[in-house]
Amino acid sequence: MNKTILLVDDDLFQLKLYEKLLQNNGYSCRIALSVDEAESILLNNEIPDLIISDYEMPDKNGFEFRKRLLKNDLLKNVPFLFLTSVNDEHFIQQGLDLKAIDYMAKDIPPARILSKINNLMLAVREHYERSLSEVKGIAEKLNLRNIPKKAPVLKNFTISYFNQSYQYQPGGDFIDFIQINDRYTFVILGDVMGKKWGAWFFSFSFLSYIRSAIRLCVFDETFSLPIILHKLNRVIYADEFLNDIFSTLSLVLIDDEEATVCYSGAGDLPVIKYDATARSLVTHQSTGILLGFSEKVFYDDINIDLAAGEEMYLISDGMIDFEIDGEKKSDMNLFKEKLSALKERNEPTENIVNDLFNKHTSQIDDCSIIIIKRKNDEHQ
Amino acid sequence: MNISKEKQGDILILTIEEKEANLSKSDHFKELVLSEIAEGETKLIISFEKVEYLDSSFLGALVAILKNLLPLNGTLRITGLNSDIKNLFELTRLDKIFVLKDNLETALQDFA
Repeated sequence: MNKTILLVDDDLFQLKLYEKLLQNNGYSCRIALSVDEAESILLNNEIPDLIISDYEMPDKNGFEFRKRLLKNDLLKNVPFLFLTSVNDEHFIQQGLDLKAIDYMAKDIPPARILSKINNLMLAVREHYERSLSEVKGIAEKLNLRNIPKKAPVLKNFTISYFNQSYQYQPGGDFIDFIQINDRYTFVILGDVMGKKWGAWFFSFSFLSYIRSAIRLCVFDETFSLPIILHKLNRVIYADEFLNDIFSTLSLVLIDDEEATVCYSGAGDLPVIKYDATARSLVTHQSTGILLGFSEKVFYDDINIDLAAGEEMYLISDGMIDFEIDGEKKSDMNLFKEKLSALKERNEPTENIVNDLFNKHTSQIDDCSIIIIKRKNDEHQ
Repeated sequence: MNISKEKQGDILILTIEEKEANLSKSDHFKELVLSEIAEGETKLIISFEKVEYLDSSFLGALVAILKNLLPLNGTLRITGLNSDIKNLFELTRLDKIFVLKDNLETALQDFA
């Protein structure tokens, strides 16, 4: 995904010149001929990675623009550069005092301006990755993990999983495996509605509730998925902290002794099974709605028959959200087409992620898939 | 974000004037609609006829609005979903909690 730069200058020729320079070097640009136009773009679009502004413009000048941005909590930390022909020492100092990262003269050769921008973006990225790494380190120390390190090893099934964050930021997807004993294993895939840090933070609250609900039910020798989901939903609904936060959940119980699989869901995407005999995909949709929306919800359970060599897939919505030629869309059928083609070619399902996202089709959300496969030989 | 407002009798019609309804707009959208509800608007139609893509943040905001509206005996109708978004609602059972209408006319009939 290209970094986006907002260019603000009342000189259309200059704007087009810098837009071309930056686009030729992998940046996406938005251009504004005035501060008012820039503010309208900022209000109606995603926040850019960098803002570059001229100083001298009719109505509001670059300094006024910068001062207005500094008063806005969402925009005050977006890196800001002045690029102007007003280069009196007094103005340079004033611009830098407004927390601009640099004050560049327009007579600097374009190649040098580009190098400065590249270096700045690299520094911002490195700083972000260091901070992210620190947060992840702390989360790891506190044993806060919403994606497990490995899947359990079972006698009759293999479980593999994949999770990919979006734009190097954690998201609301969470995965867990709870192995009760040699016989029963619960498989969990959830997705907190929302994106990035907010969703990531709440995923731990949901995971804690899910783990507790499963454990408490199992202590009472209850392995019924609808009962577990019903109790889980009630406690989440009652939690005021999660009043406006909702999560999907796909919950699977594997009985490794009987080699059976049972599924129930809450507002999740249907699970998909690959039928090896018919060489086709079959979807199973649960009745349950999102966790936390309503106190009274009917949850069902569905037995998924997996013959030797057959697979089933749990997916989060990031697997069906794409950006193709600049247009974003949710398309379950595209995912299924890619998956079918992969199975026709007898390729491992794990290759699906490389198949799904490429230079034509971009990922736009964190995405997860869990693959449950019935082994060919039960004694393996 | 751009939302246009229109009042027809006691029904408030909100049209999302955006191609993408996403994370950067979801908080603003939720605050705006919740403030309308706080001011007494309980009959709402939200039109997505201009929207091509809806992300999970915006869906979450929409669910939160409905959850706030139901205890007030309020009514919400969703109109103008394109086929991809409508399909997503059906796949995730959101069509069980929202009443979806093809267009404004049929949504208005529900309030008659």
